[in-house]
Amino acid sequence: MAKMHKRHDKSDILIHWFNAVCWVLLLLTGVGLIQNPAIDPFGSGYPEAMRSLVGGGGNLLAIHEGIGLVWIAGFILYLIVNFRGARFFLAEVFSVSPARDMGWMLKKMVLMTLGPKPLKAMGMDPELPAQGFYNMGQKAFAQVSVAGGVVIAVTGVIMYLSDRTFGAEATGWVSWSIALHFIAVGLVFAGLLVHIYMAAISPEERPGFKSMFTGAVPDDYAKHHHRLWWEKAETEGEQPTE
Amino acid sequence: MAQQLAMVIDAAKCIDCKACVAACKVANDVPEDQFRNWIKPTQDVPAPGVLTARAKFQPGACMHCDNPTCVDACPTGATYKDPETGEVVIDDDLCIGCGNCIPACPYHARFRNAAKRKADKCNYCPERRAAGLPPACVDTCPTKARVFGDVNDPESEAGRLYRKNKGRLTRVAARTDTKPNMFYVGDPGDPTWGGEAVVPASMVAMKEAAPLVKGVVALSGLGVLAMLGRQFLAGNDSKEDRDG
Repeated sequence: MAKMHKRHDKSDILIHWFNAVCWVLLLLTGVGLIQNPAIDPFGSGYPEAMRSLVGGGGNLLAIHEGIGLVWIAGFILYLIVNFRGARFFLAEVFSVSPARDMGWMLKKMVLMTLGPKPLKAMGMDPELPAQGFYNMGQKAFAQVSVAGGVVIAVTGVIMYLSDRTFGAEATGWVSWSIALHFIAVGLVFAGLLVHIYMAAISPEERPGFKSMFTGAVPDDYAKHHHRLWWEKAETEGEQPTE
Repeated sequence: MAQQLAMVIDAAKCIDCKACVAACKVANDVPEDQFRNWIKPTQDVPAPGVLTARAKFQPGACMHCDNPTCVDACPTGATYKDPETGEVVIDDDLCIGCGNCIPACPYHARFRNAAKRKADKCNYCPERRAAGLPPACVDTCPTKARVFGDVNDPESEAGRLYRKNKGRLTRVAARTDTKPNMFYVGDPGDPTWGGEAVVPASMVAMKEAAPLVKGVVALSGLGVLAMLGRQFLAGNDSKEDRDG
């Protein structure tokens, strides 16, 4: 069997798929809660269908709130179980090396949509700058998800508490929470589309996709996609898993 | 024609006894210092011995408007205009009490119920109507100044009053024309006290941001389509994963 490099802990894999399932359910229920012609993302029909499916708007709200609280609890549990992993993740995704990473991002976008020819025509080397544990695309999406996730969770809790503990003087907070919750979800969702394509559909990231189940990637994948991480692992003598 | 439940009020009959206000609070368990309905004394308040002053009283409540600005301010449809009955309804299960609808009513008919922590206003007493009774304020009015019913039904008492007085009915005018369904027969005093429908800045921001958010999602979707297109056209040339 080829040499493998460990990439994700079991708890990392678990929180990833837990987050994915929660996101799908929260998106489906949450979009059904918006019913105002000026905002309604899919236009009329969807909120009504979702509401009748679960027996009314009140039930849909209760389901959305319930899943949302489970989602937050899941992340708190993850932080308790694997705080070191979370700290490593945050340190990696928020450390950007501007020249290297911006160059990677621009070239990658051209390569993925138009191919290497336009880069060559402009006299640029289509070879991508070497990347670390995460490439800049993964970092950008992770940054949006983390920042967006915090906004979504905090505004969600404010809305949840609105008719449970808040008085009339707090409605400004609640109303702004609704707006920010909507905007944050929209922006993370935009990134999510690219994330799903890159990770699950694009053939070249297939080993990365598999590692979100097995936790490890093959040596040649690590070498070509995450060169700086691979070099560090080689020089520091990290024990590769066989 | 669909129903339009409404009130036709003979202001000349109102004696400002406030029985409607008390009955509403009792029937709907409205918290202290909060009210679903009112009687506005307008202009000259009569004083003993002064013959020039003439009492004018204007009973009111949610006017279940044809152009309900409160509904436009609600992000979830927790408040909506019922197409069957013409009522403006609040779905208590869906409302989280964000307060958007409260300044959106130019008649100040809405408030945040201090006990339920949700939007509240006149709902024409659905529990009483289900039991075959008129709304509490209408039932209790000693002079029968308040008449409730479907103004689109010529057989109903409200419909008859509405038709008979069609040319001289008064509605409360506001700076935002919401087309209220509360009609006054007789002189209700100043009918121009209605204010402006104010949509909170947060709701305006959400409405303004919506097309931008959709635009970002659409752009991202286009990017994915472009990548998919290239994947199928150019094939999988991922030779880079192989060494040597």
